[in-house]
Amino acid sequence: MAEISDSPSTSKPVEENTQTLTPQIDSKTTRNTKPGVKRLIICVSVLFSFILGFPLLWKSIEIYRAPLPFDRIDSFSSQVESNPLSFPCSFQAVFIGFDFKASHSEVAAAIKRKISDLGRGDCGGCGGNYSVAVAVERGDVSAFDFGAKLRSDDEDADEWVRSVVNQYGGGHAYSVVVVNEGGEVRSVVGKYRHAWIVGRVEEEEAVLRVAEIFVKVFVNGGDEEGLVRSEFMPVGADGRIVLSFSLLNADPRDWIYDWNFREIDKTLLQPVIEALQPIANISVESQVLYHTPKSSFSYWDDKHGSHIFTAKDLPFFVNSNEWHLDTSVAAGGRSKVLQLVVYIPSAKECPLQLKLPNGDISKTNGFISPMWGGVVVWNPQSCIKDLESNDPVRNTISHQDLQMLFEVLMGQLRQLLGLKSDNLYVGESGTSILLGSERGFTEWELDVLSRKHICFNLLSCTTTLGSLSRLVQSLPRMIIMDEIGKQVKFSLEAAKFAQSNASIGIYDASAVSSRQSRSLAEDAFFHPSIMSISYYSFEHCFAIYSPFFLPVIMHVLLGALREWKRYKQESRKYLAAKAKEKVS
Amino acid sequence: MALPPKATFPLSLFLLLPLLLLSLVLATTTQQEEFSEELLLKPLPDRKILAHFHFQNEAPLDADSFARHHHLFPKSISQLVQKFHIKSMELSFTQGRWNYERWGGFDPISSHNAKPPGVELWAVFDVPPHQVDASWKNLTHSLSGLFCASINFLESSTTYSAPEWAFQSALGSLRYGTLPREAVCTENLTPWLKLLPCRDKAGLSSLMDRPSIYRSFYHSQRLHLTMSSAPSDGSRSGIILEQTLTVVLQPNDQNADTNHVSKAKIQPSWSLSSIFGRKISGRCVLAKLSTVYLHADKGLVAQLENLHKTTAQFADNDTGPEDYRVNSGFKLSVTPKRVHTELGKDSSILYEYPIKDYKDTEQFDLGLSWEHPIVWSSPHAPFYASRFLMGSGNERGAIAISLKSTEMTQGLVTNNIEERCKLQVNVLQVVPWYVKVYYHTLQLLIDERPRVLTDFVERMRVSPSEDKVSPGMMELVLQFPCEMKSAVLSIEFDKGFLHIDEYPPDANQGFDIPSAIISFPDFNAALQFYDKSQSKSPLLSKLQEKSPVLSYTEVLLVPLTTPDFSMPYNVITITCTVFALYFGSLVNVLRRRVGEEERLLKNKDASKAVFLRRVLTKLSAKLRGRPLESTTSPSSSSSSSFVSPKLILRVLLVAGIAIAWQYYSQ
Repeated sequence: MAEISDSPSTSKPVEENTQTLTPQIDSKTTRNTKPGVKRLIICVSVLFSFILGFPLLWKSIEIYRAPLPFDRIDSFSSQVESNPLSFPCSFQAVFIGFDFKASHSEVAAAIKRKISDLGRGDCGGCGGNYSVAVAVERGDVSAFDFGAKLRSDDEDADEWVRSVVNQYGGGHAYSVVVVNEGGEVRSVVGKYRHAWIVGRVEEEEAVLRVAEIFVKVFVNGGDEEGLVRSEFMPVGADGRIVLSFSLLNADPRDWIYDWNFREIDKTLLQPVIEALQPIANISVESQVLYHTPKSSFSYWDDKHGSHIFTAKDLPFFVNSNEWHLDTSVAAGGRSKVLQLVVYIPSAKECPLQLKLPNGDISKTNGFISPMWGGVVVWNPQSCIKDLESNDPVRNTISHQDLQMLFEVLMGQLRQLLGLKSDNLYVGESGTSILLGSERGFTEWELDVLSRKHICFNLLSCTTTLGSLSRLVQSLPRMIIMDEIGKQVKFSLEAAKFAQSNASIGIYDASAVSSRQSRSLAEDAFFHPSIMSISYYSFEHCFAIYSPFFLPVIMHVLLGALREWKRYKQESRKYLAAKAKEKVS
Repeated sequence: MALPPKATFPLSLFLLLPLLLLSLVLATTTQQEEFSEELLLKPLPDRKILAHFHFQNEAPLDADSFARHHHLFPKSISQLVQKFHIKSMELSFTQGRWNYERWGGFDPISSHNAKPPGVELWAVFDVPPHQVDASWKNLTHSLSGLFCASINFLESSTTYSAPEWAFQSALGSLRYGTLPREAVCTENLTPWLKLLPCRDKAGLSSLMDRPSIYRSFYHSQRLHLTMSSAPSDGSRSGIILEQTLTVVLQPNDQNADTNHVSKAKIQPSWSLSSIFGRKISGRCVLAKLSTVYLHADKGLVAQLENLHKTTAQFADNDTGPEDYRVNSGFKLSVTPKRVHTELGKDSSILYEYPIKDYKDTEQFDLGLSWEHPIVWSSPHAPFYASRFLMGSGNERGAIAISLKSTEMTQGLVTNNIEERCKLQVNVLQVVPWYVKVYYHTLQLLIDERPRVLTDFVERMRVSPSEDKVSPGMMELVLQFPCEMKSAVLSIEFDKGFLHIDEYPPDANQGFDIPSAIISFPDFNAALQFYDKSQSKSPLLSKLQEKSPVLSYTEVLLVPLTTPDFSMPYNVITITCTVFALYFGSLVNVLRRRVGEEERLLKNKDASKAVFLRRVLTKLSAKLRGRPLESTTSPSSSSSSSFVSPKLILRVLLVAGIAIAWQYYSQ
């Protein structure tokens, strides 16, 4: 430094100093000339340029973050949580053989009151958005005719009631036909969107029953609370379900069973897949596995004459070490795989029965695990191993057995989707028979499923978007691509669209856009760039820039401060000198 | 009672015969899913044992419900085939190097199952040419998930290539890639076993004791997928999944304790339980065929026959059944069910043990104990191929592939002396892009004399590498004269530079150049057995299948210049410090008032400087130590005394010692 200041190039400040030198010799406290501002200006301008350059630098090292609509996500999720999605429902009650004193509208109002008493504010329900129409047919003769027809055969009656209901302008409305006729009360829910009640019913009771069928069966799918939580809908984000059927031979040394899956696929599974088409795109695959023992214990029970595994053992039944059921290679990463397993026990644990907690032997001999799948134990007819033959024969499960097995499996599938697996609904006001469809799912059940599906999609969309926004906000230096922003935006738009469509009652469009919203939300959340390594932390940034900025800023700041101090001091001196001059 | 059947029997036979034939034809066309498990054991000349497990799974292919419902064929593989339209595929995981010199290079096992270290994958796709790359990329990811390996690194276009002549079929739709550094272990074996219907729960695969397999000198686990074609019209009729595990093991010498001089040369005796630590307890019930073979190769059989002749001279041996003609050399603990002999003069022998014939109660434990010391050698490939690096330094080098003739080609020369005999050799060499090969420097030395390359090259296909896009690939079809002793192909290269984040985590280890494939299409590594039993053993038919002799060279390790990976930070710190110094001094210079400071210093000289000097002298006195305290007082008057000559001397002494230390310690 000294060298530089000695050199002739910097002679200017020296000159300036020599100028101020002569008058200042005489006193330390006064000066005659005005203090120079040259150095102060230099220092301050350097400081200012640094301060001005700082935002520029900040901008240059800024990480690209696409703006995400956090407030819209929050408002959307709170909206979904506070008022669950509800669909408009129209109900229609046809009373035959009743002699109502009240008018139609009063009866309708009574039913409405009952419905709102019974109704839960569930997602996918009707909420408060429903209409009830009542038609009353008077005349005893027709009531008797009706009764006779309805009591004959449920299948025929179902078709007949459908034609009757259509006369009243059925369509998408849910209808209940109540026939007041002497005799035992019998209530049946058909395959379409209607039910009928035949028998001696009082007017009050009739209204109650109608309301209950509307709410508990048609809207909620006859599903008691706590069976399978309706939030879980085993449909993948891409709207696909893979049904993976596995036949497990616990020990092929005892016996080997095979199934004619191709035939079952054609005759039993295809109609179901077609029926469920609006809800999910289902594909089926099968495999036969060997050497797959269960991992829980069973014990011999003399009373039942079989090996018993209890409900307590169920969590350990599925042997994930040796049942390599595998996720499907054919299905994309987003599809939901449901494992449907038929377990054939080995000779030393045959026959194997499931004991229910109440001590009975399970009729289906199977169990489900929500969102995973179901297991059925199938015992061969005779549990005697043919010891003499060294080469076990490949047996095929007979067609009847296979049909029974698949009925159980279909029941399990219904349960996994959140429907009842048996055909009886026991309500407060009586039992109803639910007619089963040969396609596995009746029309009103499919309605319930598609409502639930839309609801589930929107719920999972909100949770995904919510966790995305929380993640993004918690990592302020994470790169967020434009694509993620776009996906979030589109997802929100699709969700809005689904909601608005649902409120009008357009199921199909709503299902499509809800599915879209969910898959877009998941696309955004699982975008590869979120997990990229170029996450550029603040510490890293600090470590790179501090070796330069820390010393430089210190110099510049100190210089400016000193110069400012000196300037103030000198100008005070000058002012003092001036004042002295004036005084003198 | 006996009469009427006699009369009707020929008639019914005649009636039934067409029906039988028809049903037979039908059975072959609409074939069943079949699984077979086989194990081939073979003593190797260098006191080791080769164990070769061969599992074959065959499934028919129906147009309508293809790859959906199988009872034996693994679901994941059939879905893979269906999804990616795979025509054929081979995936191998190998640890160790096949020793072509000692273990032979001219038998079907070495040319099929000797694989380069790490992972090798090739696949032929049945898709239009522009979709092949996409299918390959998806396939690598699926396989990587299926086999718990980093096969997904083969996705990048810098790692795979499309050779045309090295493999038999499929122009344009074949992709080939290797990962020489993939570590192979039990996490790859378990998913591979999962594809077998019995896994390792029963059957021959229960022998696969993990510690003894992974202790082996060489193990290669392979999965080969092909489409079987219908004999009638050549259309595809089924998938064949072939899974093999080839292990070379060193048996524990059971006679080690009896340190007899003659027994030192004798081959170690072994049994299944001694090499694997397990016995075969029953077969896999799902397998159609479950057989163990013991193979004695040509050289061994010839030696055994010599031995037999010498012993037969003394004892007039009644020439018993030919099966036992060679059994004088060693003893087998279990009598073979059948013995297959190769056709021809000097033939190898195959002992067959169907596991089905042994009861479940008695465990099958094949043992072999040697009676006499026997020395033999395995048949070699026409040329023994090896590859090495030349040159030093981090700038450039050269790859050399050397071919040395073996006793095989020497035999050829004597046979075909009248006409000029030629030997075809195909070479496939793939190099990564950062090894920049200059193809014009390709040189050929024959019998250590440089020759013009074009005289020997029949065809040549070169696709030069493109930086960070594709590897370089060279395919050569060479014709050599039979009498040639040795040939060396060399090619020079420059080592490229990689971007700092393209280096693998262990960059200082060096970079691998994948094995070159040397094949000899004129030779067929096939054993022709005189098939007595007409048994349809997949392993036997594999051994009899005509396929060109193939050998892989070593993997080369090229050290590349690796940067100091903390360098960016060092650079940042240094430049920042320089900038900071510059800025600081500039600001200071601009701000300083030199004249004023000097004046101030002068003013303060009287009062402050004396005090400062006193403090300094005190400090220096303390530094020098107490005894010198007396000398400090007179020298305190002048500032120059602070740097006394004694101190300088001392500093110099210390520096000299330090330099000497540094110099001698190196």
